[in-house]
Amino acid sequence: MELMAKIAFWIYALIILGGGIVAVGSSSLVRALMGLISTLVGVAGMYMLLGTPFMAFMQLLIYVGAVAVLIFFAVMLTDAHGRGDESEPAPIRQHLFALGAVMAVGGVLSWLIMNRPPASSLVPAEVSIEQLGHGLLESYFLAFELISVVLLVAMSGAVLLAWEKRGKK
Amino acid sequence: MSPLTMYQLVALLLLCLGLFGIAQRRSLVGMLISVELMLNGAGLSIVAASQLTEADAVLGQLGTLLVMGLAAAEATLALSIIVVVAKRFGTTKTREVSTLKD
Repeated sequence: MELMAKIAFWIYALIILGGGIVAVGSSSLVRALMGLISTLVGVAGMYMLLGTPFMAFMQLLIYVGAVAVLIFFAVMLTDAHGRGDESEPAPIRQHLFALGAVMAVGGVLSWLIMNRPPASSLVPAEVSIEQLGHGLLESYFLAFELISVVLLVAMSGAVLLAWEKRGKK
Repeated sequence: MSPLTMYQLVALLLLCLGLFGIAQRRSLVGMLISVELMLNGAGLSIVAASQLTEADAVLGQLGTLLVMGLAAAEATLALSIIVVVAKRFGTTKTREVSTLKD
């Protein structure tokens, strides 16, 4: 990596780390959501560094544009008022168990990553958007169609679950 | 450290943050936020692995795109379930939502 790429990488990594800590630790759900959004933007920057501007664009469009707004609506609809559901601190035991789980998984995986590094090229592969379109409509056509079916089912399922007859209240 | 290792470590950081959050949060919306963090880590890991090694780069990007689509579908369904739970129990705290039937 060249110097500029390295600097950009560390800036994005810091954004991801800070946003992630806020997303996990904040006692207010709205603040946690803002942390999640900054993490998502940081990951979009990482996609740009990896030479995949299309993925960065999709990340912003799908996650920041759609999923974050959805979660905002959930916070509103579940009446998570200013004090929030997370206002009282969690019992210390729960923190310890959570830390134990993270240590176990993170320890094993980071050991694997550090000690068994696969051969890595220094420059990311170049993929044009045309190749992506061909892949989507030729090799991986079935997956592409199935994901649209899944989205349709999820949408109608959500409408069905949250349905409320008028005047029933 | 090779570039791939650094990207994988960032993805692992996202996974660990999400795991910590899902174990420690006490409301359903907070847990959903943690799940989104973990899914993002998975996507970053897949794209980094396919862009920086000999693997098929098109497959990696399209796979991550499908992961994003599934995450959107999962968020939609989880949110509507949360809305139903909030209506029925009057709260979304995980400690109080503990009965199947009453």
